[in-house]
This record gives sequence, structure tokens and C-alpha cells, in this order.
Amino acid sequence: MRIAMLGWEYPPFKVGGLGTHCYGLTRSLADKNVEIDFYMPRVKDRPVSDKKNLRIIEVGDAVLFPYDRPDSKELSGQFYDKVYKYNELLFKCVNGKYDLIHCHDWLTMKAAVRLKEKLGCPLVVTVHSTEYDRAGWLYPNQWFIDIEREGMEKADRIIAVSNFTKKVIVEKYGINPDKVEVIYNAVDPIGEGEKKNLVLFLGRLTLQKGPEFFLKTAKKVLEHEDTRFVIAGSGDMLPRLINQAIELGIANKVIFTGSLSDEEVRHIYKIASIYVMPSVSEPFGITALEACSAGTPTIVSKSSGVSEVFKNCFKVDFWDTDEMANKIISLLRYDPLRTTMSKYSLKEINLFTWDRVADKTLEVYSKIMR
Amino acid sequence: MPSVCFYFEVHQPVRLSRFSVFNIGGVQDPYNSYFDHKKNRAIFEKVASKCYIPTNKLLLDLINKYDGRFRVSFSLTGTFVEYCELFMPWVLESFQDLFDTGAVDLIEETYFHSLSSLYDDLDEFEDQVKMHRDMIYRIFHYKPKVFRNTEAIFDNRIAKKVSDMGYKGIITEGADKILDWRSPNYLYKPVNIDIKVLMRNYMLSDDVGFRFSARGWSGYPLTSDKYAKWMADSPGDVINLFMDYETFGEHQWADTGIFEFLEHLPGEVLKYDNLDFVTVSEAVNRYDVKGEIDVPWAISWADADRDVSTWLGNNMQISCFNELKDIGRILREKKDEELLYVWRLLQTSDHLYYMSTKGFEDGAVHAYFSPYEVPYDAFINYMNILQDLKQRAMHR
Repeated sequence: MRIAMLGWEYPPFKVGGLGTHCYGLTRSLADKNVEIDFYMPRVKDRPVSDKKNLRIIEVGDAVLFPYDRPDSKELSGQFYDKVYKYNELLFKCVNGKYDLIHCHDWLTMKAAVRLKEKLGCPLVVTVHSTEYDRAGWLYPNQWFIDIEREGMEKADRIIAVSNFTKKVIVEKYGINPDKVEVIYNAVDPIGEGEKKNLVLFLGRLTLQKGPEFFLKTAKKVLEHEDTRFVIAGSGDMLPRLINQAIELGIANKVIFTGSLSDEEVRHIYKIASIYVMPSVSEPFGITALEACSAGTPTIVSKSSGVSEVFKNCFKVDFWDTDEMANKIISLLRYDPLRTTMSKYSLKEINLFTWDRVADKTLEVYSKIMR
Repeated sequence: MPSVCFYFEVHQPVRLSRFSVFNIGGVQDPYNSYFDHKKNRAIFEKVASKCYIPTNKLLLDLINKYDGRFRVSFSLTGTFVEYCELFMPWVLESFQDLFDTGAVDLIEETYFHSLSSLYDDLDEFEDQVKMHRDMIYRIFHYKPKVFRNTEAIFDNRIAKKVSDMGYKGIITEGADKILDWRSPNYLYKPVNIDIKVLMRNYMLSDDVGFRFSARGWSGYPLTSDKYAKWMADSPGDVINLFMDYETFGEHQWADTGIFEFLEHLPGEVLKYDNLDFVTVSEAVNRYDVKGEIDVPWAISWADADRDVSTWLGNNMQISCFNELKDIGRILREKKDEELLYVWRLLQTSDHLYYMSTKGFEDGAVHAYFSPYEVPYDAFINYMNILQDLKQRAMHR
């Protein structure tokens, strides 16, 4: 079986769950004797493959881009321009005989739809997030929605990372539910570390991820327990969040780290006592699995894919900062709660392997192979 | 000839309110702030209409139809009886009607369906058994002869205590690890004391309790004639079919056909010359023990493990259990009746059961009976309440 996979990011260059997913999936598929040509924009830190079946093919001369749109108008203009060019290049460069095309999210959907025609082979689209998620359900941009809808309509099969996302695909994009399969994400376990007294938020600082709810919760916790709150990541909300921390009078207890390297991310998961993912809209939420795989008790938003499937974590409404504070304080106070959650989440995490994701993806492939 | 001994456990816990860390030390009335009376009433009324009322009526009809040859036994927990008296006294009256037929026996247990048999001292256990005894006497003018501990928890120490309190028989699980090759269809005695032990036939009991509506099961669909034949083909003196009463109409909904099954069962069983029905007291009177059992570590009828790990299997459960015992020591010393009652409601084993983290197969059963999304929520809620009660106990 020979697959053309159209990607956007791949480690070491990655900013979101999409890059992590492509890395885990392509390597596990390669181990199952699938031949994969993985196409992606040219980047500074060139990714390399040590697997015979997996070729990473860089296209054009795109520079590093965010996964999400930049907030300034000028930058976003350049960004859309680059995305457009990348799609044009993909259409030209991808040639030869493939059994199917597999693309991820809106970034490569335009090229994927045209390549399906050109190469005459079926198309699989994985939806890691939709425009509605990225906009935090406020003012979604019709331009993205149209691209996404066309890609979903033309796809022979759609893989959604959760039922949460499948529901959006069916209800907001009008896609036949029979065409959409749910495959949950996986994680490469990080391993336990020595815990410090800190509560962690990690993710892009955007509306979608709900960092302001994390700060409101921090205020409530600090009235009862002494701990530190770490906000790891960067994004357009950073200045606003710093101001919020000052206004709440908790600036001395909140640490903003900015963007972290992969190594630093692993370290902070290991030393965090509690991980909180208060996302407004999270199609899956691989970070929650990463935290759990470091033995860190985790609180996730109910508006997330991971909350459907992972048992050994707390599930809260992202806006319910009282309840989030209740859980954080309890975790800080009651050792048996922390140790039990840590123990069972480490056990459960073993079920979330890329090998399983690859098996499920192969099942989808086999349904549409001609 | 094997006798069929049906015994139903009738129990409803007093479920908790949501109680966050912010509530600790900040509430006036513990009884009304710890327990969610509105929700408890709603659940009780729902289960009463789905199970207690229709099943009691069916059993009464069946006992009359077969002229007392169909016989069953019940144990009613104190919390269940309190619900009846508070919200639906006619449900309790329907149990009295059943008892008055003479074909129904009553079983003793701890009033609060608690784990007090596992405390370091058995004084609290004894108090709760006496409370149950007084309650049964008040309502039925009867003194039970047979004892069944919470979830059939049993060990040599409990057997001795129960025997010392004057009971002739005790019920527990026919666990393989105790019986090994031996059949549960005989009476046994513990190595350390003379009391007759009824061993639950878990295969036949769970065929009704758990598997009745399981389409993947080879016995599906379970009909009363098939089930009666299985029993007629069984060797032994007594087949102990012990299950939750809520099996009828609540765990197995009416549309599974569970009521039709029950309706036809007495007739099918009585077709066989070698089968009849007995109550637990009759089983204990009629049959002799056939062997000894030695149970140094507690067994129960719960989950695949058949031990107490369902309630005390993880650190959260153990820490709550220890906290509960510590608070009890303070309250028993101070003889604070109001707080003692609240503390006893908190001893109901269900509260610890909701914190179980046992995986998948058993875990699925837990999820069905738990009002909490994850066991960690159950822990926080319960532990917060214990912290509040502890502060209260120390300051009185």
C-alpha cells in the first residue's frame, strides 16, 4: 500500500497536536509495511526519517508558520498567501501512483481535493480541529469553513479525532455521519518525574484554550492553598493574561514561560503536580494524555474529545472556575487522591498507543481502497 | 432434593449533596447539607414505582396462587425503611402484607448497610445490628434467625460475633477460593464456631441478576422453564439464589421480560418433584452442615475478586475509611446522638463503592450504580464532608 500524506508540520517543527499526530501515525504505519510519502513545507530544522518506508518530502520554500492564523492583519495576509502557494506546489509536485491521499485539516485540503481528481485515487481527510474550535465558537471565518466543507464533501472517508468533532462535522458542515469515523489520539509516554508544588496550563494562549479561566481559578485556589501556577505557551492573549494576573493580585504566584522547547515541555509535565486543560473547544487534547503519561493528575474541560474517552481524570465545564478550584484544592490537600489518580492514569495511558491509531487508520483505508 | 432459597436484598443509600472544599466549616445543619434529600426522594420514588411496588404485588399474588409453597426471604436496610416511612409508607405496608402470608422470612443485617464488621472493634457493628433488630421487631414483631452482613462480607471473626449474638445462620458468597471443588448447594460451618453458613450459588444467582438480558450470553434468553430445569439438574440440599431486589424492574427493566420470568418461575419449579422453596430460616432448620470453611480474610459477593477490594481497594478508599473510624472514636466517646446518626449514614458502604477504581469489566458495573462521573469526584465529595464532620466533632 502506498500513501501520499499531505502535512503541515512535523517534529522537530510543530506547534500543535497535528504535528504530534502525523509523527506518531506515519511511523506506526511504516512499521506495518505501509509506504508513505509525507509532504510538508520546507522548514529550518529539517525532519529526518529513519524508516525505510517513510519518506519525508519537502515542498517549496515556505518559512515557519503558526498552525492558527496570526492576529495581525498584515501577518495573516502573508500567512494565507503562503498557504495558497503551498497548496499550489503540492498540486504540482505530488505525482505517481498512490493507493490513496490522506490529508490533515484545512491547510492542505485545497490541494488534496484537486489531487484526488488528478491522480484518480480516494481521499481520506483527518479533522484535528475545525474553524469553530479555533475561533472558540466566536466569529468563525467563512473562508476557512468553505475550504473545510469542500474537503469534507470530497473526501471518501473522514477521520475525526473524537465524537465531539464528529458532531461538529455532521451538524455544522452537513456531512453524512456514516462517512465519519472516530479515531482517538495517542501519546508517546513521557514518564514520571519528581513533583513540585505547581499547577500547569500548557497550550497556545488563545480564546480556544481558555487560559483566562485558568487564572480566575488560580485566584480562588490561592485564597485557600499556597501553590504556584505556570502558564506555558505563547499566543495573542499573552499581554491580556499578564494584565489579568496583575489585576487579580496574583502576579507573584503566576509564571509565564513563553514558548518551550520539546525538552522543556517534557520537563514541566514531569514536575507539575496538577495539569489543567480548560479549553472552550478542544477536538481532542493530546496535552492531557501527555500530562497523564507523566503521572500528573489532570483536569480537563468537558468540551474536549479526551474527556469522552479517558477515564482517570477530572472533567469540568471550562467556565466553572469554582469547581476547578475545588478540584485543585482537593488534589493539593489530599495525598491519596493525587497518588491514586496518578497511578491509574499511568495505567490507562498504555491503551493510547500510536500502534492502535495506525491499526484503526488502516481499517479506514481498507474500506475505500479500490 | 434441592430446595430453592430465594433471598432479596432491599437497600437504598442516603446519597450525598455536592460538597466542595469551600463548604467545609461553613454549613449550619450537617444532616441537611450533607445529604441530597431531594435527589434521594426522587430516586427512591422512581425505584419504588419500577421495582418495589410491582414486584411486591407480583410476589404476593404468587404466594397466594401457590398457597404458600412459593417462599422467599428479604433483608431491608434501615436506610431503606426510613425512606419508606418518610415518603411512601404503603411500600412498607406491602412488605408487611408479604410477611403476614407466613411464606416470607426476614434477615438481619447492619442498620446502615455499613462496613462496621471490618472495624478494629466490633462494638459499632453490634450497635448497628441491634438497631436493625429493634427496627424489624417494631415493624414486623419478629426476630430474624439468619444474618447477612453488608454485601455478604464474611470472615471467621464476623461469623463468631454473629453466632455470639444468637443467630442460627449466616449468609455469604459461595466463593471458589473458599469452597474450591465443593458445591455451594450445601450448608457449611466456619472452623471456629457453630453456625450454619448458606453459600450463595453465584452462577445461578448471576444468571438472573447480571446476565438475564445479556444477548451475548449462551443462556440467553433465560426462560423460567429452562432455569427450573437447571435447578432440577443440580445436586445438593439447597440452591441459594441471592440477589439485589432491584434486579426486578430496575437493574433489569420491565421490557427485558424479567417480570414474566418471575411470574412463571414458581410454577415451573414446582413441576419438579425434587424441587421446593424454602426461606433462609427453613433452610437452616432443615439441613445439616456438610463441611467446614476457613475464612481468615474477608470475602464478599462483589465483583470478580469476591473480597473487600471493591470498598477498600485503593488509597482514597482506605484513607476515607480510616478517617471515618477516627471520627467515630470521637463521636462514640462524646455520645453525641445527632452527629452519631449523621456519621452512621456516612458509613453506608455505597459511599466507598463509588470511589472504586477497578478496571473495565467490573468498572462498568460500578459506573452504572454511581452518581459520580469519576471515582475521584466521589472521593472529593465524601472526604470534604468527613473533614467538615471532623471539625464539628472536635468542637462539640
